[in-house]
Amino acid sequence: MDNNAVWLIILLPILGFLIQGLAGPSLQRKIGKKALGVLAVLPIAASFVLGLMLTQGLASQEHAEAVIVSGGSWINIMGLNIPFEWVVDPLSMTMVLIITGVGALIHLYSTAYMAEEKDFSRFFAYLNLFVAAMLVLVLGNNLPLLFIGWEGVGLCSYLLIGFWYTDTANTKAANKAFIVNRVGDWSLMLGLFLIVVVISGANIPVEDNRYLSYDAMLPALTTALKANPAMATAIALLLFGGAAGKSAQFPLYVWLPDAMAGPTPVSALIHAATMVTSGVVLLNRMNIVFQLSPTASAVVCAVGAFTALFAAIIAFGQTDIKKVLAYSTVSQLGFMFIACGAGAYWAGMFHVTTHAFFKALLFLGAGAVIHAMSHEQDMRHYGKLAKYLPITFGTMMVGTLAIAGVPGLSGFYSKEAILGSAIANSHAGQLSAISGWVGLGVAALTAMYMGRLAMLTFFGKEERWRKLPVAEHHDHEEGHDDDHGHGHALTGDHKPKEVPVSMWLPLVVLAVLSAGAGLILNEGKRFEHWLYPSGLSQLGELKHEVPNLEIYSYIAAGLGLLAGVLVYIGGLPAKEGLDETKWARWRSAAANQFGFDALMTNLFAEGGRDVAIGTSSFLEDQVIDGAVEGSASGTRNFGGWLQQIQTGAVRLYAMLMLLGGVGFVGYFLFIVNRGGK
Amino acid sequence: MSGVPLAAYLALGLFMFMTGVVGVVIRRSPIVIFMCIELMLNAVNLTFLAFARYQFSPMVAGNSFREGQSAMAGQMMVIFVMAVAAAEVAVGLGIIMAIFRLRENIDIDEMNLLKG
Repeated sequence: MDNNAVWLIILLPILGFLIQGLAGPSLQRKIGKKALGVLAVLPIAASFVLGLMLTQGLASQEHAEAVIVSGGSWINIMGLNIPFEWVVDPLSMTMVLIITGVGALIHLYSTAYMAEEKDFSRFFAYLNLFVAAMLVLVLGNNLPLLFIGWEGVGLCSYLLIGFWYTDTANTKAANKAFIVNRVGDWSLMLGLFLIVVVISGANIPVEDNRYLSYDAMLPALTTALKANPAMATAIALLLFGGAAGKSAQFPLYVWLPDAMAGPTPVSALIHAATMVTSGVVLLNRMNIVFQLSPTASAVVCAVGAFTALFAAIIAFGQTDIKKVLAYSTVSQLGFMFIACGAGAYWAGMFHVTTHAFFKALLFLGAGAVIHAMSHEQDMRHYGKLAKYLPITFGTMMVGTLAIAGVPGLSGFYSKEAILGSAIANSHAGQLSAISGWVGLGVAALTAMYMGRLAMLTFFGKEERWRKLPVAEHHDHEEGHDDDHGHGHALTGDHKPKEVPVSMWLPLVVLAVLSAGAGLILNEGKRFEHWLYPSGLSQLGELKHEVPNLEIYSYIAAGLGLLAGVLVYIGGLPAKEGLDETKWARWRSAAANQFGFDALMTNLFAEGGRDVAIGTSSFLEDQVIDGAVEGSASGTRNFGGWLQQIQTGAVRLYAMLMLLGGVGFVGYFLFIVNRGGK
Repeated sequence: MSGVPLAAYLALGLFMFMTGVVGVVIRRSPIVIFMCIELMLNAVNLTFLAFARYQFSPMVAGNSFREGQSAMAGQMMVIFVMAVAAAEVAVGLGIIMAIFRLRENIDIDEMNLLKG
């Protein structure tokens, strides 16, 4: 397989974007939505096939070597050459397969989910562009290209979260996602600049001046940073700041739950295949920086563990099925960062992979449920849906068990890899072991809140939406208008129907992957050797085995699931009912993210506005206006003072003239006489 | 050179000039002020003539001016001053007449249109 095919992998989604974006509406009239949907899925699927072929070529080698596909110059200034070039290596190809594979399934699913949407082609244009941007991010062989992709996914997430832009809440959520991401981007950019500073200061000759290309940059950076560990920590922390923004780590996670405002397939795409994984990819790419800085690694570990725990607790306070999944994503991303902080970068990527499968599955499943329930997202109105949605139910249960860490399913292996390496590695000091044990606790919590989600949605004693008022006449078209908001079109006489084949087919494929991927990839540490063929340098002191970790994991998953099932087996507990004032205090607090979101809003959004108003009233009104008006009134006062001399009294003038003349002449006489001496 | 010494001329000139100055500053009638100005001009003329007569000029000392030229310069200045004074009086009286026609009053303290 010619490696130049990597160009096609990127260009196909861009082509899809152009077709949908430029010719979409007229094509839709000519060939209909179905054909247009096929046109949207095809480029992604073709990219996936190409990616598969490239991966096969790479995997057939004993030691997969990175291949660089060069494509001309991009930036060439002052001895710095940044070409367009793509890297084909295990890390990028893993991501390509996830992005295009899961992406294609999500596209397929969307053709049905969005079938009644008016802006059909706009949606798929954004979706294709999203995939393209993410591909640029993972395939680019230098940090500026990564940055293009980085901003590209930021833009697309903004466009897609605010897809139903007529609703203010959605546009606000889109703005929030974009702005919070900017904070992370700012940090990433500072990191990039610092890297440029370090590399240019290190005086290491590089062929063709490709200083920022990974193959040239990473060895040079290693040499330069070994001499300067403090700089390594600074760069690592800045890069992690960027990763935390995209990958929704505390305190920048706040945009992710709000991103649920977008259509459900978008949530699946953001949470599983694109966007949030980019932080983990960045940490894997730049792992040498983190290897050189145990301090930064400890920070990564601690933030990951805290985020995992924090988000898992918040998930208990959520009633919106998508919000539960959103917080579960934040929590799972925390796991990935625990792994990266502990130095087990491959374990982070492993979890990215398995998480992509089961989280896409869960989101698409949730989308199917929402689709079947007239776009009602509140789990408190569900119940006993297993009867109506057998395929959705079956596949979602696989996803639930996989994320809960039930042995044999994919989530178990990746979580086990993370916890094992976190507890065993001493790279990040004591913190990684502590994070590992916290992670074990969070695994139990994960199992519990996923049990809660499954029980509330699919099981229970009653079909709770029956209690809702019955609509006089339920017009189907109207129901989909409510799609645009969070309208409660669900009525008491609603009959849930199983979703069409183009929606359940992706669910089934993802369910198979969620179930099997972990076992296959973990066999003989296959994934680790694939991702890091030459192995990573030894980090700290490594205890090879954590005794009984498997048993602890079984217990955590089992206990969590059991607790979830036992609490919710009787349906919705009264103290979690529709009357939120009856909720336990901790649960209401969790529902409000323990006031963190409000705090951030107060502190930064409102605080920022107050600073702006303060600046305006102080700087603008007082300093600047003061200076301008002060100079005017100063001149006026000075003039008024001078005016007093202008009496108009002729005799006074004569007097002054006399005195002036005498003074003038006297002064010159004085000068002349003194000079004469 | 006998008779009146230079100092006497200068003393008289100073007296006349100071009389003129005080008159200009304290009197309110423009006619009197004019007369005082004339007094000052004549005081200056007297000084010019006295210096011309006594050949006492810092300009001439050690210079190439001959005596006659120096005396001529002083006297010429006086002619100039008299000519300018005549012209000034003609214009000044014209203005005073105009103001009188306008206001029927020529008190100098009430002429303060230029007051700021």
